[in-house]
Amino acid sequence: MNKTVLLVDDDLFQLKLYEKLLQNNGYICRIALSVDEAEIILNNYDVPDLIISDYEMPDKNGFEFRKRLLKNNLLKNVPFLFLTSVNDEHFIQQGLDLKAIDYMAKDMPPTRILSKINNLMLAVREHYERSLSEVKGIAEKLNLRNIPRSAPILKNFTIQYFNQSYQEQPGGDFIDFIKINDRFTFVILGDVMGKKWGAWFFSFSFLSYVRSAIRLCVFDGDFALPTILHKLNRVVYADEFLADIFSTISIVLMDDEKSSLCYAGAGDLPLLKFDSNQKDIVSYQSDGILLGFSENAQYSELEITMEADDLVFLVTDGMIDFEINGEKKSDMELFKSKLRELKKNNHPTEEIVDNLFNKHTSQVDDCSIIIIKRTQNEVD
Amino acid sequence: MKLTKEYIDNILVIVIEDKEANLSKAEQFKELMLQEVESGARNLIISFKNVEYLDSSFLGALVAVLKKLLPLNGKLVITELNDDILNLFTLTRLDKIFTLKSTLQTSLETF
Repeated sequence: MNKTVLLVDDDLFQLKLYEKLLQNNGYICRIALSVDEAEIILNNYDVPDLIISDYEMPDKNGFEFRKRLLKNNLLKNVPFLFLTSVNDEHFIQQGLDLKAIDYMAKDMPPTRILSKINNLMLAVREHYERSLSEVKGIAEKLNLRNIPRSAPILKNFTIQYFNQSYQEQPGGDFIDFIKINDRFTFVILGDVMGKKWGAWFFSFSFLSYVRSAIRLCVFDGDFALPTILHKLNRVVYADEFLADIFSTISIVLMDDEKSSLCYAGAGDLPLLKFDSNQKDIVSYQSDGILLGFSENAQYSELEITMEADDLVFLVTDGMIDFEINGEKKSDMELFKSKLRELKKNNHPTEEIVDNLFNKHTSQVDDCSIIIIKRTQNEVD
Repeated sequence: MKLTKEYIDNILVIVIEDKEANLSKAEQFKELMLQEVESGARNLIISFKNVEYLDSSFLGALVAVLKKLLPLNGKLVITELNDDILNLFTLTRLDKIFTLKSTLQTSLETF
């Protein structure tokens, strides 16, 4: 992907010169004639990959610009270079003390300036990849998983689940199965709002709370999903660490004796049931709002009867994102109609999942789907 | 990300100019909105008239702004959502926590 560079210099001729040099070598450039103009650009566009600034400018100079950036949490870590004709040693040291990565003199040949920029971008990329692989290694060693290795085996149901990460990085989707005894099993699907490592990290906090809330309620003999969700939401709300982190959740309680399901959710997408007799998809929409938003949110549960061969689908929002003619959209109805067609044509589950995952022309988030199937009654 | 903002009386109207409101913009958007709240903005309208796609990271940022605003007796109205995004709000019950209005005029009338 092309890197974006913000160039700041009060000399328009110089700006255009460096803009051309960088554009010809695959960079996207934004140019500013003053620090004020640069700050407007920084507020209005995505954070650039690199900022290159002159020192001597009227009004605010390059040092002032750098000091202002260092106070901004979003921008302080963007690599910063001084490109200037001032070449006094004391000045250079002052610039480098402001955590500028380098200092380049304007009389340096353009090819060398370009090489320096290319090398810097490469070093930043390599550093990022190294850090990423270290975190991945640690996660692996600690056996940190927000998606379990296997699903429990039940008498009257089968559970299958699939998760596809986004850009090969784990995300905020989490899945869990809690088998209480031979009769009751909880199935959990959650999605921490956000993506990649940030969301992944917080998913463990949510998972721990979900497990505790379920276990504590079950110890008290309370299997009611509204009670579990109410307690879960209160503890998430009270956790200052999660003050502006939110998660959706779907919980299904499976009764393997009565072969029935109970469902409740918070901010989640509707549960979809494929009725094998009617050959149609029915939506069940939960009524809870996102975990952690409001202290006294109320939840209710829905009972879902399951005949042999009926299926239930739980999905996260990544599953309903589509890219059509280069435009992205979230479309639950489109997802439902695809699923309906695939089921009507009797495609096996793996094929259905494969189709639903890979037919997204461009995946934009991590995607998860849990499929619960009511198996045929056993003949005694 | 590109935003335009203007005050109409004491109501801050923010128009998101980007077509996609996604992860790369969510954090910056949240910071900018929280700065506005810190500087005293209490009545906010955010217009999505130019936005075609909104992801869950951006939704999370919106929810965080609303959560900050409510204890301060502030109000946040979201307006001019396209049908797909409006549908997403309804499907996930976000319509219960946000005030959603179809036009800027009806948004202004809620204050």
